[in-house]
Amino acid sequence: MGVKIGIMSMAHMHAYSYADAVRSMPNAELAGIADHDTDRAIETATTFETTAFARYADLLRTDIDAVIIGSENVRHRELCEMAADAGKHVLCEKPLATSVEDGQAMIAACRKRQVQLMTAFPCRFSPAMGRLRTTVIDGAAGSILAIRGTNRGRCPFGWFVQTELSGGGAVIDHTVHVTDLMRWLTGSEVVEVYAEISNRMFGQDFDDTGFLNLRFANGVFASLDTSWSRPKSFPTWGDVTMAVVCDRGTLTLDMFAQNLVLYSDKSGATSWSHWGDNIDRLMLEAFVSAIADGQPVPITGEDGLRAAEVALAAYRSAETGEPVVL
Amino acid sequence: MLKVAMFGAGGMGTNHARAYARMPGVAVVGVMDHNRDAADRLADAVGARGFTSAGEMFDTISFDIVDVCVPTPWHAEYVCLAAEREVAGIVVEKPMGRTIEDCDRMIEACQRRKIPLFPAHVLRFFPEFAAARRQVDSGVIGDVASVRTRRGGPFPRAWENWYGKPSLSGGVILDLIIHDFDWLRWTFGEVDRVFARCLSAGKHEVDKDYALVTLRFRSGVVGHVEGTWADPGGFKVGIEVAGREGLIELNFNQPASPAFTAAISGPVGAGPGVAVPENPTAESPYYLELEHFISSIRSGTPPAITAEDGRAAVQIAAAALESAETGRPVHIV
Ligand SMILES: NC(=O)c1ccc[n+]([C@@H]2O[C@H](COP(=O)([O-])OP(=O)(O)OC[C@H]3O[C@@H](n4cnc5c(N)ncnc54)[C@H](O)[C@@H]3O)[C@@H](O)[C@H]2O)c1
Repeated sequence: MGVKIGIMSMAHMHAYSYADAVRSMPNAELAGIADHDTDRAIETATTFETTAFARYADLLRTDIDAVIIGSENVRHRELCEMAADAGKHVLCEKPLATSVEDGQAMIAACRKRQVQLMTAFPCRFSPAMGRLRTTVIDGAAGSILAIRGTNRGRCPFGWFVQTELSGGGAVIDHTVHVTDLMRWLTGSEVVEVYAEISNRMFGQDFDDTGFLNLRFANGVFASLDTSWSRPKSFPTWGDVTMAVVCDRGTLTLDMFAQNLVLYSDKSGATSWSHWGDNIDRLMLEAFVSAIADGQPVPITGEDGLRAAEVALAAYRSAETGEPVVL
Repeated sequence: MLKVAMFGAGGMGTNHARAYARMPGVAVVGVMDHNRDAADRLADAVGARGFTSAGEMFDTISFDIVDVCVPTPWHAEYVCLAAEREVAGIVVEKPMGRTIEDCDRMIEACQRRKIPLFPAHVLRFFPEFAAARRQVDSGVIGDVASVRTRRGGPFPRAWENWYGKPSLSGGVILDLIIHDFDWLRWTFGEVDRVFARCLSAGKHEVDKDYALVTLRFRSGVVGHVEGTWADPGGFKVGIEVAGREGLIELNFNQPASPAFTAAISGPVGAGPGVAVPENPTAESPYYLELEHFISSIRSGTPPAITAEDGRAAVQIAAAALESAETGRPVHIV
């Protein structure tokens, strides 16, 4: 009998990929989907051949071991606290929270009920990222001096651009993945954030362009492009890239550069078809085995909060035009 | 026949002198360099005379054009010296000067005698960069939201490690990505504020440098420039411009595949052959930029790049250097 997992809200598209991954794992079971949008609960439960719940409390009353939270960002706290109260471990979609206070409350709730809280940062499970990290640890390149990062994508629209649900636009959506990778690589925390943020891509009241500059406690400096700057005609959804400048050379990562190029007369488009590993699945395997073995999850709520703090500081910096110290 | 006197017989001096030497109606007549061997070697190669002092060269030969390719901090000295003569035009390598004050001195000296001063921002003559600007201008990607460029490769070794001394070269920010600053300003207009960090900030001598520079243009466009002298993997450049209706990129998302490569195995026992990738174009951008200046002198029309452009690029770089020193954004007024 594997780890029983329920999903709390399918609002985020990543939840679909997580549902698929859970269903494909021999040591896990997708035990149910609850959603405040009842139609979506029924529809997705049908698709993924599991039970639909109209109310989160009903899902939490079952004998599931853990939940995946895939709601709109601002609901993370409420759902996380409910799950913790019910004694369920939590895997929460990123960004962990849209305020520091919410993030701290989530961490406290899980600690109080002694359930584990993991932030969904699948990029840590990329084999290319693993190679980058072991190369750094191995030491041949010397210590890290600076990092250039990007995490761009197409604009997802929907609730992602309703800031009362998302907590912000491109900056809150795309800062956290690569910030987390940079923290993981350097073993150091971000102490200062400067950001240029704009909405010129769509000209609406959400931010679509974010150029961040970060300074870490150990002296490493970094930049990060978080923009929704991939046009509809771009051959793939976006990118995660890093150039890691070290004492004795430069290491580069282009995490999703494992593609076939597809020229299709059917779609009239050229697209990249990814053949690399499914990192969502690798992340879920790590979560499930930690829960099954009673081991600590590999990425914590604190990790999620530290990354979210950087995004929040970026907004403050853009407002004031000055670097923000964390 | 237009006669050229060269200052500096290093990498760039050689490049310029060889370009003039095969330009119709142009001849290099003098090459001045503190290093006697370097001056004579280049002079011999292009049929000119070598000198080790400016005074000696000025007193010995007559010339129409002066081209200054010494290390950056001495640009102003030779440009101002040349501007005291009746010369038809002066070429100065980028960055135009080590400081804005240097640029102002040169501009003033040249204005007094109405001598055209041409800062050699060769990037404008690179076909891919010229084409990228044309595409942006054409509106094919709509209003631009953001732009990124990157440039660099291994650390450059040259005379007295002058590139490694930020007080002389200005590091990657002044020496290398000034190319991008000029192209960006040419394409997207004036820069409003700059935030930068770099490895060489506050150092006396370095064996690598790396800079990340964020720009905000007056138009609201946001820019990012990456410059490296810390990548032994070879020299690379890239452009990416994101607009409301599309994206233009060069060497950013698609792996760069050059128009020509030669992988030839060496003689038996000589080890592996060396692959030499190339993107051949009919004429070198360095030749094109100098030819442009020469023809502007001949026709009496102003060159496409002015001394003010050279100064403005130095000003962006100076703001970036100041930001890297202070950790604060710097506004350009
Ligand atoms: N446009 C480009 O792509 C490009 C590329 C490289 C260099 N540059 C610029 O060209 C200029 C020269 O750089 P380089 O790479 O040729 O340098 P280099 O080190 O190869 O050559 C410099 C030469 O100047 C001589 N020299 C030094 N100080 C002198 C002085 N005060 N008077 C007379 N001679 C002196 C040295 O002996 C040496 O021969 C710099 O401003 C540099 O930034 C431009």
